[in-house]
Amino acid sequence: MEDKLVVISKMSKAFPTGEGDFLALKNINLSFAKGEFSGIVGPSGSGKTTMLNIIGSLDSQTEGEVKVMGYEIKELSSKQAADLRSRHLGFIFQTYNLLPVYTVYENVEFPLLLLSMSKEERHKAVMQALEWLGLTDKIKSRPAQLSGGQCQRVAIARAMVKQPGLVLADEPTANLDTENSLHILDMMKKLNQELGTSFIFSTHDQKVIDYLRRVIRLVDGEVVSDDTKAR
Amino acid sequence: MILKLANRNIIGNGKRSLINMFILAIVLVGLLWMMSMFYSWINLSKTQLKEWEQAEGMLWQKDYDPYDAFSFDKSLAPISTDQVSAINAGKAVPILLSQAVAYPQGRMMPTVLKGIPYSQSLLKIPSSYLKDTGDGLVPAVIGTGLAKTMKLEKGDILTLRIKDVSGVYDALDLSITHIMRSPVPAIDNGAIWIDLDTMQQYMAAPGYASQIVLEDSSLMSLADENWLYKSRSVLMKDFNEVLQTELASQSLLFGLFLFLAMIAIFDTQVLSLFKRRKEIGTLSALGMTQQQIIGLFTVEGLLYMVYAVLIGIVLGLPLFLWFGIKGWVLPDSYSDFGMIGFTETIYFKYPIWIILLVLGVMFGATALASWLPTLRIARLKPTDALRGKLK
Repeated sequence: MEDKLVVISKMSKAFPTGEGDFLALKNINLSFAKGEFSGIVGPSGSGKTTMLNIIGSLDSQTEGEVKVMGYEIKELSSKQAADLRSRHLGFIFQTYNLLPVYTVYENVEFPLLLLSMSKEERHKAVMQALEWLGLTDKIKSRPAQLSGGQCQRVAIARAMVKQPGLVLADEPTANLDTENSLHILDMMKKLNQELGTSFIFSTHDQKVIDYLRRVIRLVDGEVVSDDTKAR
Repeated sequence: MILKLANRNIIGNGKRSLINMFILAIVLVGLLWMMSMFYSWINLSKTQLKEWEQAEGMLWQKDYDPYDAFSFDKSLAPISTDQVSAINAGKAVPILLSQAVAYPQGRMMPTVLKGIPYSQSLLKIPSSYLKDTGDGLVPAVIGTGLAKTMKLEKGDILTLRIKDVSGVYDALDLSITHIMRSPVPAIDNGAIWIDLDTMQQYMAAPGYASQIVLEDSSLMSLADENWLYKSRSVLMKDFNEVLQTELASQSLLFGLFLFLAMIAIFDTQVLSLFKRRKEIGTLSALGMTQQQIIGLFTVEGLLYMVYAVLIGIVLGLPLFLWFGIKGWVLPDSYSDFGMIGFTETIYFKYPIWIILLVLGVMFGATALASWLPTLRIARLKPTDALRGKLK
């Protein structure tokens, strides 16, 4: 059990609607181990993002248990959830979600500021992350001056800079062309292998699915398959 | 971190930020100007009242009632030996009051006659013009207000009817030797001034007075059964009542200015929250707590104020220096309002407490206007924010 980063058991998530509750996730039982490169795949509306949000402590389940890094999501206060995200989780979004007023360097540095690291430590970590992603020549650029692929690399650097245990990537290639998508995926796979960081994707992009070692298919809020490729 | 991000956001907000900063700066300068003007006017008025009318307190004959002109005829009492000593030492000035009727250009106008020693120097009243010149006319000084009402000029002769202590009427011819411009309406409009000795003779009341103006409040010991001590605070009662009314209208204007500025900030914050929902979600995903995000937006609002102070210094400093050095001269017509202090140049003073008060109120109001809209963040789920929803 110790190498399990995420343990989900009998988890359901309902959203209230005008005509009663809508069950977005139904009786989910899953676990994710350290170093996994896995993905939740399925069509739009299947509950992928909802599941990712719950694992990322941005939301909580209606029923069942979800333990992330040993923390039961439903029992976390808003502050504790923020602390969990700040220390252990990295997020990558479809639309990059970079802070437009910050430079590349500052965007990557931002999560470390929340951890109250010293300036020297921050600088070292940021430069290392930018090197991983090949962005050292862009440190003074602002997001508006970068291409989509570069923005997503900055977002990955921002997610990786604090070397979290788990990175949650929600449709990370949806806004990228094939070349950039593959480049990004290569980088994430490399980081997964070299740093042992676990990745959980939410995607319906076949390019991403091809990269995943473990593919969990979700249809109408239910897990219909959970396949792990041989290494 | 929050300060840096807030600052970047403000700069990144471009013209909208600049407009907000200018609005706040103009309101800041306006409020400081108003407060300083009010403060300087009060100070000037108090000084003028002291210099022209009240000194450091007065003794009133026990029957004297300033609101009842009919009380003047019986409001006189002999000046005691101790009081005479103080008068001779230049520490007190006796004033005798009487109702009178003036006949300027054949018209009949009730007025008040006041006697004051021509040699006094405690009050600013130019009493040296009251010294008898031996031409058979009684030298008199009047204010510009009364001169205008009676259509009198310097050198004019004015016939006056007064009543002595026995109730016998007498007439005397006054020569207007000087027309003084006093900032105190009661002095400028209210009375005809002649020498005290002359008035005592005509009133058949040698050694009598109605009021004694004191140089020092320690002279209150000169009060006795005939004379009641009136401190400056008592004498200032009417002025303070006027002040309260003025203060109320000033506060209303102050509040209105502030309200308009705060609407600008509030509006910017609401719009900012709406436009930056996704950013709020991202910050939350990155690990910022709701309190930190609320703090970020509140600090942004407060930073507008910090920049407004800098702009205010640039805009306001020349203005404040001008009014401090050159002063504010109100048009002549303002003297008709009967408000003390309006006839002289008001030199603005800017005590630190006024600056701190205005800054404190503005920073407090800005913090409130910046913070209130951010309460929505506390109710916002990070997932909704990331999807761009704002309930």
